[in-house]
Amino acid sequence: MNWRIRLTWWDKLLLAIMAVGAVLAAVRYAGGIAEVANVNNAYPWGWWVGYGVLTTIALGAVGFTITALVEILGVHRYHTFVRPAVLMGLLCYSSAIIMLMVELGRPWMVWMILVSWAPTSALYEVGWCAFLYINVLALEFVRVPLEQLGWGRALRILQVVYIPIMLLGVTLSHLHQSSLGTLMTLIPHKVNVLWWSDRLPLLFLFSAMMAGPAMAILEHLAAARWLGFAPRTDLLAGLARIEAWLVGLFLAFQMGDLFFRGATDAMLSASWPTASFWVEIGLGLLLSLALLVMPEVRQSQAGLATASSLVLAGVLLYRLNVAVIGLRVRHWETYTPAIAEVGITIGITAAAFFAFGWLARILPIHEELPPPQTRPHPAAQPAGALRGAEGLS
Amino acid sequence: MSAPTVKPKAMIQDNTRCIGCRACMVACKSWNERPADHTDFFAGAGYQNPRDLDANNYTLITFNEIVTGAKPDWVFGRQLCMHCEQPACASACPTTALTKTELGPVVFNESRCIGCRACMQACPFVIPKYDYENLAPKIHKCTFCADRLEVGLEPACAKVCPTGAITFGDRDDMVAEAKRRIATAPDTYIPEIYGLEEVGGTSVLHLSSVPFDQIGYITGLPKTPMPDLTHRWLRVTPRVFAFLYALFAALLWIVRRRTARQEHRGEKT
Repeated sequence: MNWRIRLTWWDKLLLAIMAVGAVLAAVRYAGGIAEVANVNNAYPWGWWVGYGVLTTIALGAVGFTITALVEILGVHRYHTFVRPAVLMGLLCYSSAIIMLMVELGRPWMVWMILVSWAPTSALYEVGWCAFLYINVLALEFVRVPLEQLGWGRALRILQVVYIPIMLLGVTLSHLHQSSLGTLMTLIPHKVNVLWWSDRLPLLFLFSAMMAGPAMAILEHLAAARWLGFAPRTDLLAGLARIEAWLVGLFLAFQMGDLFFRGATDAMLSASWPTASFWVEIGLGLLLSLALLVMPEVRQSQAGLATASSLVLAGVLLYRLNVAVIGLRVRHWETYTPAIAEVGITIGITAAAFFAFGWLARILPIHEELPPPQTRPHPAAQPAGALRGAEGLS
Repeated sequence: MSAPTVKPKAMIQDNTRCIGCRACMVACKSWNERPADHTDFFAGAGYQNPRDLDANNYTLITFNEIVTGAKPDWVFGRQLCMHCEQPACASACPTTALTKTELGPVVFNESRCIGCRACMQACPFVIPKYDYENLAPKIHKCTFCADRLEVGLEPACAKVCPTGAITFGDRDDMVAEAKRRIATAPDTYIPEIYGLEEVGGTSVLHLSSVPFDQIGYITGLPKTPMPDLTHRWLRVTPRVFAFLYALFAALLWIVRRRTARQEHRGEKT
């Protein structure tokens, strides 16, 4: 099997960004968190958790949403999206774990979660679920390289456990995606009234689901462009229709929640959080929804890319609003992320992009492409035959 | 400590008796071996130093200039860990590095900490602090001198207070004593014990001559324990897990059976 690819200009750019991130991370390990980050006693989480963990995990929801759509709800025509979605999920969760290795004060102690019993802690549940789920994602994905290597026995074992494992993954995702919201329910006195709700777990779950189809659409468009295949516009239009429902669900739930909590007045106050709220609602939800309900947009690549990007920006801003922008501790305490702090996260994200681009070129991730040439069985199946078979095969 | 007869302890911080000598701060640093640090006057609160609790300062006397009657006057307040009856920090900790002991102190176990800082995020009183510049950072906060309590001593701050502003004893007795002081001198005290009901009750009870928000206390906190907020969701987790797994399995089975019947793709299940 050939692991090597020819580095393109994009690969080199990503490698350069990763190098900058690695240098910054080295500074963090050599000099402590204070050396690179502005997180402080009042704002102990900041951008690293708001983006690096809460947003990255939400984007990783693409893995379970597409898997559930195809494997549980049985909408097999979207099968082509499953492998990219599982790989994106795996890379998002890996990114979040690398982020934690930078963000935690004592990263070498992180295994302590697995030997503790702390059922009152939302983070404990998130830790366990995410740990189990990243293993599930790895098991789901490992079929692809195993197939490439021709390890038939390992594949047959995976085939047997695939369905229970896949169901476990979807269930775990529901649990920890919502538990990230539970984390924030503990601090009603710190989170702005626009976002603090005792229904935060559901809001976090719905906003994560909303990221799923958008990630799948953007990935497909990008892969079609850079790997050179014709995008499946009919399927993309279908995903966009699902996305419209998910955006609508989140929008309705968030508005309903604000209304039932009697917090609608805060939507009209003149403050930075309120401005950020309207950017989130206006661009991330209302505009993207308006675009997604238009058939012309769903048929157009530019339209799909714009709408999906808006949805992802909305997810990012929602997480930042809850965990960073909408947080207020005491009036004299402030937090603005440092450049180095953001730099490390960009380095990690660049690494995820690079890994995806590399794997997409050495492994049969996209059904639209002929399988990589080094397949052990020269009489490789035509791409279409991959569809409809069980699991990720 | 494990004796069932142990009675939870508490402290009264009677701010009306405080003269701002800061002996408590010195004793605290001394007992907890916190280094001295160079401080500056900062704009705003006059002679108070430092501005806030940090990794080297587990307690702090706040200086508040309040106009009482015709002239401005110092009114002191004190910041330290409240040692909640049901601590949000301990409930948020994924590794039980923070625990509430039977005697009352909420104690930090360095050997279990992963440095996630969920306790800092969770604390309604903004008490736990971090030494971000260290390579093996720790959570820093008042320990209620748990090590002293275990051997029958009172906390260092209570020991040194020269004016009786800090009183230590069984929590039941301290609550009664605080109520007695308010009742016997209603002109001196506002009729409120900070910590009696805040977040379900704490092991430090503050008394004051002016409303607590005027001397820098965080007010408007719920009277119910903070961990209840997350417990509502977390306690159903095992049931939700079982329910969702069964639901998805059932969905998958129904969909696959229907697909098999329709014979659209018959090659596998």
